Amino acid sequence: MRWFRIFPLAITVGLLWLLHHPMGKLPALAKIIDPVNGALAAAEDVQENFNKNLKLIGIQAPVQIWMEERLVPHIQAQNDHDLYFAQGYIHAYFRLWQMDIQTRAAGGRVSEVAGEKAINFDRGQRRKGMVFGAERSLAAMEAEPRTKAMLDAYRDGINAFIHSLNYRQLPLEYKLMGFYPEDWTNLRTALLMKYMADDLTGRTDDIAYTQLRDQLGQDQFDFLFPERKQGNIPVVPQGTRYEPASLQAPPAPSDSVWAHFPQNTETVTANKSETTPKFMEMYAPADAATGIGSNNWALSGSKTQSGKPILCNDPHLGLNLPSLWFEMQLSAPGINTYGASLPGAPGIVIGFNDNISWGLTNNYRDVKDFFEIKQLDEHHYQFNGSAKNFELKIETIKVKGRKDLLDTVRYTLHGPVMYDASFPDETHSNKQLACTWMGHRGSNELLAVYLLNRARDYAQFVRAIQNFQCPAQNFAYADVAGNIAIWGQGQFINKWRGQGKYVMEGIDSQTLWGPDIPRSENPHAFNPAQGYVASANQQVTDSSYPYWYNGSFTEWRSWEINEKILGSNSPQTQQNTGIAARKMTITDMMTIQNNNDSKLADEVLNVIDTINKNALKNWLGSWSGTMQALDKNPTDFHIFWSMLYRDIWQDEFPQAQHKWPSTERTVQLLQQVPKSDYFDDKNTSQKEGLSDLVQRALLEAGDSLKKLKAENKSEWYLFKNTSLTHLAKLGPFSYEHLKIGGWGNTINAASGNHGPSWRMIVEMDTHPKGYGVYPGGQSGNPGSQHYSDYINYWVEGKYFELNFLPQGTSKNPFRYAWTMETGK
Amino acid sequence: MRLVISIILTTCFAGIAEWYAPWWAAALVAGIVGLYQSTTAKAFLVGFCGIGLLWLGFALWRDLPNQHLLSDKLAQLFKLPSGLWYLLLTTILGGIIGGLSAWSTAHMKRLLHSKQE
Repeated sequence: MRWFRIFPLAITVGLLWLLHHPMGKLPALAKIIDPVNGALAAAEDVQENFNKNLKLIGIQAPVQIWMEERLVPHIQAQNDHDLYFAQGYIHAYFRLWQMDIQTRAAGGRVSEVAGEKAINFDRGQRRKGMVFGAERSLAAMEAEPRTKAMLDAYRDGINAFIHSLNYRQLPLEYKLMGFYPEDWTNLRTALLMKYMADDLTGRTDDIAYTQLRDQLGQDQFDFLFPERKQGNIPVVPQGTRYEPASLQAPPAPSDSVWAHFPQNTETVTANKSETTPKFMEMYAPADAATGIGSNNWALSGSKTQSGKPILCNDPHLGLNLPSLWFEMQLSAPGINTYGASLPGAPGIVIGFNDNISWGLTNNYRDVKDFFEIKQLDEHHYQFNGSAKNFELKIETIKVKGRKDLLDTVRYTLHGPVMYDASFPDETHSNKQLACTWMGHRGSNELLAVYLLNRARDYAQFVRAIQNFQCPAQNFAYADVAGNIAIWGQGQFINKWRGQGKYVMEGIDSQTLWGPDIPRSENPHAFNPAQGYVASANQQVTDSSYPYWYNGSFTEWRSWEINEKILGSNSPQTQQNTGIAARKMTITDMMTIQNNNDSKLADEVLNVIDTINKNALKNWLGSWSGTMQALDKNPTDFHIFWSMLYRDIWQDEFPQAQHKWPSTERTVQLLQQVPKSDYFDDKNTSQKEGLSDLVQRALLEAGDSLKKLKAENKSEWYLFKNTSLTHLAKLGPFSYEHLKIGGWGNTINAASGNHGPSWRMIVEMDTHPKGYGVYPGGQSGNPGSQHYSDYINYWVEGKYFELNFLPQGTSKNPFRYAWTMETGK
Repeated sequence: MRLVISIILTTCFAGIAEWYAPWWAAALVAGIVGLYQSTTAKAFLVGFCGIGLLWLGFALWRDLPNQHLLSDKLAQLFKLPSGLWYLLLTTILGGIIGGLSAWSTAHMKRLLHSKQE
C-alpha cells in the first residue's frame, strides 16, 4: 500500500497547475497573489524616489527630464528625435497598459485579451472601418518626413521601455487580465487617432432621422428637428463676413434617393447596447440628451484686467482612469510647448507654447453618411446600372479561450458595408448599409500637432491646422501679440442640400460624396469686434455661410457662455453674475469653468410656473436652477424634467431606437406653443394639455423621489453619480459619487460618465501663464498615490499652476530629475 | 532548532529563487527542503512556515511603504474586508503552496526508499 504516497505529489502538482492558469472567471491566483512577482509588486512607495539615470539604445544626445512632485515631466532634448523618443518612453513608463488597451479597442482586438464577451464590439470596430482608416492615415503620416520621424522616434521610445520590463515590472492590469504587452507600432498611434475621430464624429442620427421623416412627413420633421436651432449663437460670431464659396452648391436630386426603413418594427433594443459588453461602455458614445461636448473661449486683451488675451478650454470626454490625458512640457531646439498629450501619440494636443495657445471643442458637422447597397449576388452590387465587385476584407478576430472568428467585411464605392443580416442595424431592417466616413481617409492630423506645437503666430497656426481633417474641431486661439481667433476646422464635403442627413440609396453616383470644400474656406473669425470667441459644440455658423451642412449641435452651454457670462450686452446678465460687467481675471475664468447654472432648468422653471401657477416654485422654493453637488433641488428638478420630457414624447415616438426632439426644441415648444397637440397623450381617450402632463410628471417625480429619499440618494452628486471608471471596469480602481456639481448642459459639464477632462486657462503674457487640472493623476498604476492625486483638486474646482519653463532653463526647479544617455 | 533552521533556509532560498524565476520556484525550493525532513508532518510544517513567512515578509515590505493603497484595492477585488486580510490570504496561500510541496516530496522520498528496500 505504499503507492498511496504518490497521491500527495499528484495533488500538489495539480493544485499548482490550477494556481498558475486562469480558470473561467478566476485568474491565475498564485501568479497574481505571489507578493514577489505578482500584483503587490505594483505597490509604489509613497516616498518613491523618481530620479533616474537611464542608458538607452537609440538616444542620440543626452536628454534631461525634470519632474515635478506631482509627476509632470519637462523634457529638454537636443533634437526632435530624442524629444519624441523620450516622450514615448515616459508615456509608456506611466501609462503603458492604457495605451495598449485603448488602441486594441480602436482596432477591434479586445476579445483577444477579454474573451468572447467583446466579440460584437470587435466586429463593430472592424466593420466600421477603423483599421481601414488607420492604415490609410498611417500611410499619409509616413509619407511626410517630419511626422514619419516623429512616429518612429516615439515608437522606439515606447519599445525601449517595453523591452526593459520583466514580468515583475509589468503594469498591474497585464497581470490581472493575463496578457503581455506587444511591441508598439506606428499603426497603434494611427489607431489611437482614429479612436478619437470615432469617439467624436462616429455617431450619426441618419437611420433614426430616416424613419422619423417617413413617419412625420418633412414639415413636421423639420418643425421638431430643425437643422438650425432657434436662437443659436454660432461658433463663428454672427455677422462675420464669409468669402463667396469657390464651389457651387450641387443641385439636390429628387426624393427617390432616400432609403426607407420599416416603420412598425416592435420596440427593439438598439444594436449598440446589445453588442457593447458592459465593461466596454466607455467606448460607446455618450447620450447626447445630456448635452455632452466641450467648451473653449478666448478673450481679447480688451476684456481682461491684465490687458492680455486669455484662452480657456475644457474638453468633455469619457471620465476614466487612467485619465485620457497626460500633462507635460516638450522642449528642444525650435519647440517649447506645454499642455495635455494623449498617451499613444507624440506631441501636445491641447496647450500653448512661447507664442500661442490653442484649445479644442468638437465640431459636430456631419461627416459620416449611410448608403443602402443593392446586392445583386454574393459578389456584386448595383451601381450606375451595372454590376460592381465587392472588395472583400476578411477580418480575423482572435478570441481568448476560443478559436479565431472570421468576419468578412465587404467594401463598396461607399465604403465598408457595416450593417447586414449578420450584423443588423438598430432597426433590424436587415438592409445592407455601407458607411462613408471622413475618418476612412488617410489624413495627417499629427502634422497639425507637430506644426501647432512650433507655431509662432497666427499665420503659422492657420497653416498648422489646415492639416487637421477629422475629427473636425473648433480651434480657439490666442497669442502673445494680442490676437484671438476661432476656426471650425476639419475636412468637409460640398454637399447638396440634405445630402447625408438621411440614409441614401447607393445605386448611383447622385448620392456619392462630391468634392472637398477647400479647408481655407472653413468658417473662421480673427479678432472679432465682440472681443471674444467661444464654442461649446453649437451650430458653427449663421445662415450666411455659403456651404450647406448639418450636424448634431447642442446649444445650452453656448447660451450660458455667450449670454450670461461673456456677452456684455445684456444688462440683466451683468446683475446676475457681476462678472461680465468688469474686466476679467484668471480667477473669473476658474469660476466660469466651474459654473453649474443650468439655463435649461432656469427656462423650464419659468415656463412651467406660468402654466401651472407656481407649481415648481411651491415645490423647489427659491431655487434658481444651479446644479450644486450637495443640493437636493437639482435632483428634484432633474427627475421632474426627465418625466415631463418622457411624457411629452414617448407616445409619439415609442420605439427604442427613436430619437426624441432635442431639449432645446422641447423647451421652445413649451414656451411658444403651449397648446400644441404634442402635449396630448395619444394613448388615452381624453385630451390632455401641457398642464395635465406637468401634473402627471410631478406625481411621477414624487414617487421616484420618495424612493431616493429612502435610499438616502437625494443629494444631486449622489443621484447623478459622476464617476471615474477604470478602463477595465474594475470597481476598486474606480472612483464613484464624486462631490461635483453640474450636468451635461452646464458649463461645468460633469455628468455621470463624461465631464471636463482637462481644464486649462492660459494668459498670454510675454511669458504665458497657465493653470490646469484633470480628473486623475499622472501615474496609470492603481498602486501609486499619483494614480488619483488630482481628483479632489478637480472636484473642488482648484487648479495647479502650470510651470512652463522658458527655453534653455539651466537649473532644475523641481523635485526629480531623469537623464537619458546613449546606451550600448 | 533544526526545524527553525530549515524554515529560515527555505525562506531565504525561495526568496532568492523567486527573484529570478516565477512564483513556482518557491514550490520547488520547498519541495527540495521536504526531502530532508524526518517526517512528512515536519516537512509540511517547514514548507508552510518557510514560504508563508517569505510571502508575508515580501507583502509587508511592499505594503507598508505603500501605506496599504494597493493591498486595500486588491482586497476589494477579492471581496475581502481590508488590506490586512489580503496579506493574510497571501500568507496562507504561500503557506499551502510551500507546505504541500514539501509534504509531497517527503512522501515521494519514502516511496522511492521503500522500493529500494
